[in-house]
Amino acid sequence: MTKKKLLVNIFGPILSVVVLISIWQSIVVWGHIASYIAPKPLDAVRSVTSNWSTLAPLTWWTIKETVYGYLAGALLGAFLGVILSKIPLMQRVLYPLLILTQAIPIIALAPPLVMILGFGVMPKVVIVAWIVFFPVTVSVLDGLNHVDKDLLTLAKVFGANPLRRFVVLEMPAAVTQLFSGLKIGATYAVTGAIIGELAASSGSSLALYQRSASGALDAAGVYGTTLIMTAIGIVWFLLVVGVEFLATPWQRRSTARRWRRGAKPVLPNN
Amino acid sequence: MNNSTLLDLRGVSKTFGTTTALSPMDLEIERGSFVSIVGPSGCGKSTLFNVLSGLLRPDDGTITLEGNNVIGATGHVGYMLQKDLLVPWRTVLGNITLGARLKGKVTPENRELATGFAEKYGLGEFLNHYPSALSGGMRQRVALMRTLATNHQLLLLDEPFGALDAQTRFEMQQWLLQVWRDTERTVLFITHDVDEAVFLSDRVLVMSPRPGRVVDDLRVDLPRPRTLDTLVSPAFTELKARVLHQLHRERAV
Repeated sequence: MTKKKLLVNIFGPILSVVVLISIWQSIVVWGHIASYIAPKPLDAVRSVTSNWSTLAPLTWWTIKETVYGYLAGALLGAFLGVILSKIPLMQRVLYPLLILTQAIPIIALAPPLVMILGFGVMPKVVIVAWIVFFPVTVSVLDGLNHVDKDLLTLAKVFGANPLRRFVVLEMPAAVTQLFSGLKIGATYAVTGAIIGELAASSGSSLALYQRSASGALDAAGVYGTTLIMTAIGIVWFLLVVGVEFLATPWQRRSTARRWRRGAKPVLPNN
Repeated sequence: MNNSTLLDLRGVSKTFGTTTALSPMDLEIERGSFVSIVGPSGCGKSTLFNVLSGLLRPDDGTITLEGNNVIGATGHVGYMLQKDLLVPWRTVLGNITLGARLKGKVTPENRELATGFAEKYGLGEFLNHYPSALSGGMRQRVALMRTLATNHQLLLLDEPFGALDAQTRFEMQQWLLQVWRDTERTVLFITHDVDEAVFLSDRVLVMSPRPGRVVDDLRVDLPRPRTLDTLVSPAFTELKARVLHQLHRERAV
């Protein structure tokens, strides 16, 4: 990457966020908007820091729900993708059910889950997994179904058994697709956790904290909570992008990373 | 069948429904020879390769490779297509050793062999490169190295240079001849290009469709190594004329 490109990549996003916050600040200040309707950005942040002792455990719960649900959903999604692609009968049997799961409004899923799983972490984890698994399944299925047929033929000529063909050729060939599903899932995961908290919480949670702040006309508290939720979503998405970056070096690099190299470096002849 | 025969086909035939893709065919291929197959689309060239590689089971006949019956078996020939089929997530080294990986683990010996091939044939600096960083000609070289690294005596090359531009193609042809001479393999080479067939081969088989069969078996006794001068020699032109004549006569019928 050139120096200029690096600068653009780092400062571009920072600049756009700064501009957004400035616009927010100027609208509130110059528009003389009452503090119980919309806070200044700094007030929203201050509301988070000054209530952090209350918010920290709630944030931690939301993170847990997001991460557990996401991991469960991603694993289930990938597994289903493989099953659907490898067993044609399953495509007939399972596909309608998969569509059905996504047609159910997530909010309507909460009451039965609460009845079965109670008010703890579990119903939220299930809701997140419920949302996340679908894009992963579709992308894995797509990836596996579009592996070059000639490549599979070649493997057969080389005498590879079906399991090796799958592990050595089909799985890596589907990785690019897999990550597009994982990224879509990552953006949905926090939303799922918050919906879960709204619909299946009795005690304290970020979502209920926000709701009571809203009831108390504490705009800074409302916006502050939103900032926390958004931050969880962004950090999680970036983590997934980071894993993709490490797992698929061939998409950006012309040579293998040093520690992944199978061959000793060959010095060019002078 | 004498001692120098590597591959021996007796009465090999294959039909798809009512189409005779391959009418009963006898064919002997000598060890270490370079044999090209030319013919129009649908003449059974690809069926022949699929039968030889074990992807298809012939309806009838016997196929003997190095004295063993290989009908219905796979994993006994090197195989290469016009598409290089390099996998983007493996480096050049990883692609050359793909055959070994598909059969199990890649051993240090596999790696050494692959590195040796790559260094000898101009890919040494690119061992750790991903295929996306390579040109079309280099990708085909890697694909051929991968075919060689499977260590099979018989290589089936199905229009390997079909997608390359004329200049790269000529370079690749000379390079292939060098590799073939060094490694003492036996090559069966499908092509549409009559020049290419005559330039490369010891023998050119002309096939014709409906039913797929060999209509001419031509010995090419041009001196080796073959160079640009070969391409403009009277003997070359004569042989080329004969192949073209055969192809066209068959088409006119």
